[in-house]
Amino acid sequence: MLTQMNIRGLLFDPYSNAYIVILRDEQNSDVLPIWVGKSEANAISFALENVTPPRPMTHDLMKSILDNVGAKILSAVVSDLNNNTYYAKIHLWYGDSEYAIDSRPSDAIALALRAEAPIFTNEEVLHKQNSEELERWLENLTPEDFGKFET
Amino acid sequence: MSVEQNTDLIPLKVHGVLSDRKTDTQIVILRDQINAHVLPIWVGKTEGDSIRLALDDGVPARPTSHDLITSLLTHLGMTISHVVVTEVQNNTYYAAIHLSANGLERTIDARPSDAIALALRVKCPMYVVQDVLKRRNGDGGEAWLTQFDPKEFDEPDA
Repeated sequence: MLTQMNIRGLLFDPYSNAYIVILRDEQNSDVLPIWVGKSEANAISFALENVTPPRPMTHDLMKSILDNVGAKILSAVVSDLNNNTYYAKIHLWYGDSEYAIDSRPSDAIALALRAEAPIFTNEEVLHKQNSEELERWLENLTPEDFGKFET
Repeated sequence: MSVEQNTDLIPLKVHGVLSDRKTDTQIVILRDQINAHVLPIWVGKTEGDSIRLALDDGVPARPTSHDLITSLLTHLGMTISHVVVTEVQNNTYYAAIHLSANGLERTIDARPSDAIALALRVKCPMYVVQDVLKRRNGDGGEAWLTQFDPKEFDEPDA
């Protein structure tokens, strides 16, 4: 069972010096935070803000190749979560067949946004995320973090 | 006329990738086969890292965006026949990726960094249009390269 996810924001995490893409389902009952690198965050933010860079960025090139040969991007699916690593698939239509190609979620999302294709995840990932996320959150807390909440 | 017979195109290889500490960018050093010409192209950090990985035949923990493009091409039965650095305008280099898909030839506009990162992965030839090299050599490419310590080629992330 797939759940459609929308991008609710892109945050900077100063602790890991990485960016976090926040995906939320339509009812806003589930949240999927996905850590991505700086250049992938850039690629996602350009698409979110409809910025056309003067030269094609890597994901623009990816879309341009697919457009040139008549391949259609159907969807991006965040398909698995293992040891804090998310996995995704890009679903394509080319010729008369459907293809599902393994990808990092950041690439799949950056590409789906450019093609205005929907982003999905499944219940298993949402369920795993709820348990793994709390664990990681607790592990990463340091005494200094607690200090911040004192007023 | 085949690519090799086209005298306007000069084959290139990647000599190395340098880090430019002043600008947080990287420089891909392209040279022709007889090392008569050198073409330095400034690229972003991600693209530079991706090119270096391909040069070293390294396998990243997660596939890079260029690995994904290579995978897309393989799945859809497409091949890159060659890439060409086609033009330089106001210090911006332009490249073209020549793609074959089901007998059809397509030429796709790309940044040289993406074109090189892909060419190294699919092991296809890289060329530069002779005119681009001529214009570059006006800047004294060879003299420019000597300012770099050869050791820097091996310590890009320092």
